[in-house]
Amino acid sequence: MTPTRLLSLALVTPALAVVLVLFVYPLGFSLASAFEPPGGGFGFANFIKAFELYDKDILFTPVLIALSTAIIALVSVAIGGYLTLGGNPVAVAVLAWLYRWPLFVPFIVAAQCMRTFLAKNGLMNNGLVSMGLLDTEQTVGFLDWRGIVATFVWKQTPFVALMVAGAMASLDRSTIDAARNLGASRLRILIEILVPQIRGTLMVGLILSFVTMMSVLSVPLMLSGAAPNLLTVDMAYRINAQGDYGVANALGFISYLMTGIVGWIYLRRSLEERTR
Amino acid sequence: MLRRTLLQSVIAGGAALVLAQGAEAQQKTTLNVMTAGDQNMVDYITDYLGPMFEKQNPNVSVRAVGTGPGDAGSQKIWERLDAQKKAGTATWDVDVAVVHQAMAGQMVKEGLLDAYRDKISTGKLVTRDTAKNSLGANVDGFVIPMFHSQTAIAYNPAMVASPPKSLTELVSWTQANPKKFGYNGIKGGMSGVAFVFGWVYANAPNAKQLMEGPYDPGTKVSIDASLTKLKDFNKNVVITPGNAGTLDMLNRGEISMGAVWVDMFYTWQAEGRLPPTMRLQLISPGMPGQPMYYVVPTKAANSEVARKFVELATSPAVQAEGIVKRFNWYPGIDAQNLESKLDKAVWDKLFKDITPQELAQKGQPMPIGPYFKEIQEEYERIVQN
Repeated sequence: MTPTRLLSLALVTPALAVVLVLFVYPLGFSLASAFEPPGGGFGFANFIKAFELYDKDILFTPVLIALSTAIIALVSVAIGGYLTLGGNPVAVAVLAWLYRWPLFVPFIVAAQCMRTFLAKNGLMNNGLVSMGLLDTEQTVGFLDWRGIVATFVWKQTPFVALMVAGAMASLDRSTIDAARNLGASRLRILIEILVPQIRGTLMVGLILSFVTMMSVLSVPLMLSGAAPNLLTVDMAYRINAQGDYGVANALGFISYLMTGIVGWIYLRRSLEERTR
Repeated sequence: MLRRTLLQSVIAGGAALVLAQGAEAQQKTTLNVMTAGDQNMVDYITDYLGPMFEKQNPNVSVRAVGTGPGDAGSQKIWERLDAQKKAGTATWDVDVAVVHQAMAGQMVKEGLLDAYRDKISTGKLVTRDTAKNSLGANVDGFVIPMFHSQTAIAYNPAMVASPPKSLTELVSWTQANPKKFGYNGIKGGMSGVAFVFGWVYANAPNAKQLMEGPYDPGTKVSIDASLTKLKDFNKNVVITPGNAGTLDMLNRGEISMGAVWVDMFYTWQAEGRLPPTMRLQLISPGMPGQPMYYVVPTKAANSEVARKFVELATSPAVQAEGIVKRFNWYPGIDAQNLESKLDKAVWDKLFKDITPQELAQKGQPMPIGPYFKEIQEEYERIVQN
């Protein structure tokens, strides 16, 4: 081995060791214990129990997070599009300044704010009532799955929008100008010219958001007491109330699978694009 | 030559200084107090108990570490002690711990705790059953309750003229007033769990066995039947997000009644987060409460100082001032030791809505360990599915 090769290996080693010790080892450990029934050995008892008790949550989690991701995609494309194509410089400046703020708010703080904002007699409904838009009797609380979606969208949109807006800003403006000259509307330019070109960036942002939302505990725990709820709540509950790491790890394994599938779809698409 | 001597003497002097400081630091003992429970427990040690103890014992500094609310917090303390035991460490770095009931029983069983109660003077002031029996496990001598906490039904008199006095009345009230009663299920905090236990006690034929044992897998049938009834009841109630969530909803007028912790209720009222008009009712046949315990690990590095610390923490003066007056908790030691130490207003406030007789009659323990877990799991299977 040449000295430079040795040196590069030496440089990589600490980082690799950290990944192995702090990530790969616990991952392997929890995967293994998911397949270890209470008495020891190897079996699927933990998974059977996980499906028996939490089948609704196992279904509900990916649906709810996919819904949040879809809304995030729409809103962040809209924000990015307006920042790139918007005609009113003041509105563009205000939006550019405003949209990224939720990025700096931790999930737990966002959840606490939403708790008082979205409640039946919360800030939002009280505001609507005092403006005369709603009657006190008509107000509805959103402290259930709708609250979770609203919080996720509010919190994660800036992250994706930041990436999307950056990618849109770096595009060659001549195609946009050409389309404008030919009389295309802004919406059409956005959908047919901008979005296809930044699809890769949008995809990366959405996948990172999806994975992040899969792992959040505070938001579902603080916003929704009712079932069904997200899997993180069940995992925390299995460990905290029952001391049952087996089923918690089985649920974790199911979560890995969900994020794994998303990652796999992404890899396939990016490979397809590369071979094209 | 001269310069070298000068340099040497400076180095020697510096080293001596460092050594002297080291010796002084060694004399100063750090007492590690690890508490499960909310941030208020850590604050209690850091702001109140710690400074008082340090004043009495100048060469001790008290360090409070919080491990978080609920049984999860106790679980973390257990994990730490268990790891040190398994590693064969000579002394453990937790001197005093504050833990929940389930974990206290397990820790005693596994030999992680010292039988210290008879070694300190306040040990004989402890009279409640919970000092001997923790969810069915024998903890006699190993624990001293720090406080007792009780669940009750909080209600808004503006919306409820005559609150239900029993669980049966509560059921018919929720039928007449759908979605106006709230509790937090079993995943959002212990007040909800306690309500579920209270429900099962009232609806299953073997309440006494659930509280005192012995565990019999056959009782599952009656537990399941009572939980099927609870599923029906839940159709007319709101499942709130957490202990604080219930109080929040009461405060905003979204519900008119809810299951809450008595101490949390009074603390929120004192802080102005809940209207002073709100009241409490302990419905029959009763609702559960729980203590938290002071324990000293078997191999605590400073076990003697630790005992002194618990002695102070469980003295009548501290129990009166710290536990009753500050937190609205019921005391861990026998209440009659405290009455002389408290002014009447404070004493009466704690027993305003729930009289001592009522507390004695309707304050129930949590179920024993195996039922504790079984009821929670059956709730998930039957009520949430």
